[in-house]
Amino acid sequence: MNTKMRLLKRELDYQILILPVLIFYVLFCVYPFFSTFYYSFTDYSNMKLDNLKFVGLDNFKGIFKSDLLTISIKNSIIYAILMTVFQTSLGLILAVFLDRKLKTKNILRSMFFLPAVFSPLIIGYLWSYIMSTSDFGLINRAVTALGFAKINFLGNPDLALYSVVGTQLWQWTGWVMVIFLANLQSIPKDLYEAAEIDGANSWGKFWRVTLPLMQPSVNVVSVTAMIGGLKVFDIIFALTEGGPGNSTQTIMTAYIKTVFTEGFYAKGAAFGVVFFIAVMIITMVMMSFLKKWGEQTR
Amino acid sequence: MKKFSILLLTAATLLSMTLAGCGNENNAPAANQGEKKEKVKIRIAYWNKEDSVKTLLDLVKEKLPNIELEYQFIDNKQYQNIIETQLTAGAGPDIISTNPYTASRYAKLGYIKDISELADRYNDGGKNVYSVDGKLYALPGISWFEGMFYNKEIFEKLNLKVPTTFDEELALHETLKQNGIKPQAMGAKSWEPMMKSSMGLVMNDFLSKSENKDFDVQYGEGKTKLDGNWNTALEQWTELIKLGYLTEDMLGVDYDQALDEFATGKAAMWQSGPWAVEAIQTKNPNLKFDMFPFYGSEPGAGWLIGGPGVGFAANSKSKHQEEIMQVLDLISTPEGQQAFWSDNKGGSSYLKDVEFEMPEQFASVSETLKAGNVYAPWNNWGDASNVIEDYGKNFQYVLSGKMTIAEALQAIDKKTNELIQGKAQ
Repeated sequence: MNTKMRLLKRELDYQILILPVLIFYVLFCVYPFFSTFYYSFTDYSNMKLDNLKFVGLDNFKGIFKSDLLTISIKNSIIYAILMTVFQTSLGLILAVFLDRKLKTKNILRSMFFLPAVFSPLIIGYLWSYIMSTSDFGLINRAVTALGFAKINFLGNPDLALYSVVGTQLWQWTGWVMVIFLANLQSIPKDLYEAAEIDGANSWGKFWRVTLPLMQPSVNVVSVTAMIGGLKVFDIIFALTEGGPGNSTQTIMTAYIKTVFTEGFYAKGAAFGVVFFIAVMIITMVMMSFLKKWGEQTR
Repeated sequence: MKKFSILLLTAATLLSMTLAGCGNENNAPAANQGEKKEKVKIRIAYWNKEDSVKTLLDLVKEKLPNIELEYQFIDNKQYQNIIETQLTAGAGPDIISTNPYTASRYAKLGYIKDISELADRYNDGGKNVYSVDGKLYALPGISWFEGMFYNKEIFEKLNLKVPTTFDEELALHETLKQNGIKPQAMGAKSWEPMMKSSMGLVMNDFLSKSENKDFDVQYGEGKTKLDGNWNTALEQWTELIKLGYLTEDMLGVDYDQALDEFATGKAAMWQSGPWAVEAIQTKNPNLKFDMFPFYGSEPGAGWLIGGPGVGFAANSKSKHQEEIMQVLDLISTPEGQQAFWSDNKGGSSYLKDVEFEMPEQFASVSETLKAGNVYAPWNNWGDASNVIEDYGKNFQYVLSGKMTIAEALQAIDKKTNELIQGKAQ
């Protein structure tokens, strides 16, 4: 037996330890993943698992014909882009601001981070009261007291999606800020001193020193925000249930409606497959863009 | 390598034991052999809390000592999903709570048993929605209904009377508005209230006409459309929007907030059903309220939207068919209905010759209930019955002015077509 084989054999003993997890991973993750692909090409609906018929691309054609998919894709893309852009930029601004020598720094940091610890369902319930147009709506009480007309945050089909984005930003920007703060603290102070000697002002220091060195965390944050935005479900469910009309339906809410309300399991599986491919493509494009940006700034 | 194989084998054995355990749980021999008598354990699943059937469960315990009826609560949002997974796996509770639509699906798939032997005891109104090809597949439980709650004190103060036509209802709204009181609260953030409110007028002016008796069944089969049939009634209903009684604001208000508005006297009316009574009384124990039904152009008893609530079906794969039938038989007696009703006051029984005394909050709907004018059109829409969610959502667009009635109805018809074709595949 050569050394390589011996080493492999020795490692095998340790790798046994991951076996239980691996079995469950395969059973509950890998297997459902591939079975989704399989079912998306069958006529699986109405709980009939026996006599499944292969229907080719029918399910895919079906979902692309449905109005629900078109509107939910549009909403998901708008949502994901807004979340990525604002979460990253607002988080960055907050982090840079709270990295300064402020007396209230710690209190402010905790305050901004606090919403991230609550469940989205609680946040949804809370904000549906805060933004309500009934007499219990906190914001609208203030707005009408100032003599303006009520703002129908969640009930206006043109505004509802943006109100949900606002709520999500309120919840998650603090979390992003914490990641950026950790990255900011790893930037050596002498780089700023060197920049100062070279005559850089605050903006120059941010642009030439801070931002390029923040690239790893910007990458992580923007990719997770994009994926999180595309698969958003809970907050929409709690705040608007996809309404009014279909104005806040996203891919996930439309998927759940197709599968559990309407009982079209195969069509739902096709929905899932399309979603998976779309997220994969978007993430790959984003990663390559961020990589290029990283190379340019280096 | 040997060590590896042993570990692999152990893991596989453990896993198979775990899985076998899961599978056997539901099919395990139910009798507890250690007990004096052979007590058969059967399971009933329902989406309402145990409190809503407590008296009935006690009655089963008392009258059927040979049976141990285990109650399983499954939250409504997960209910269908969980039950269907269990049924697909050949398991599931012995007595399955269903709604009319799922009952007909399960019946066609052979998951629930023909229980026609109990059919004669029930009125047609209840048993029709739970029948497939003339055979009964679930016992119609206590009915549910929805009408318009109104604040009696506000009505008395402004000398307002319960309306008898839709026009009178509009006039009532106007008087309230003129007096600076919000006529009605509506949690239109949910798709349900607009759907039910609009169908109320359709039931009066279209569906109750003898020539439209089969309309709903035909709609469910894709033989007719809403667009072109419901338009006149619905155009009239939109007066509520045009005159500013139902407003876009309401799309930002949910069920609980609307309930708050009514219970605290901020709004004079609110559309809901018996299930809301307790919550209203908890918020405001002093509130005096009553309910009137939906009215049409002509004076009459009006209509309430509703129908048989839960249906109890027998799992055809269960090993305890005899015991299941004993329980269903007990539910189908006046005593069983009384026990079920006592935790669901307000609804009515579909068992022949069984009537209950209505609580005072429903005095003004007694005529409507007596006339049997309680109906939910979608219960007869078959495979298309799930389209009501889209119906409600499109009517949210009507309320916000983004759709006309005709456009909304066309969109609903299109979705209905998708559902019918999808199910026929």
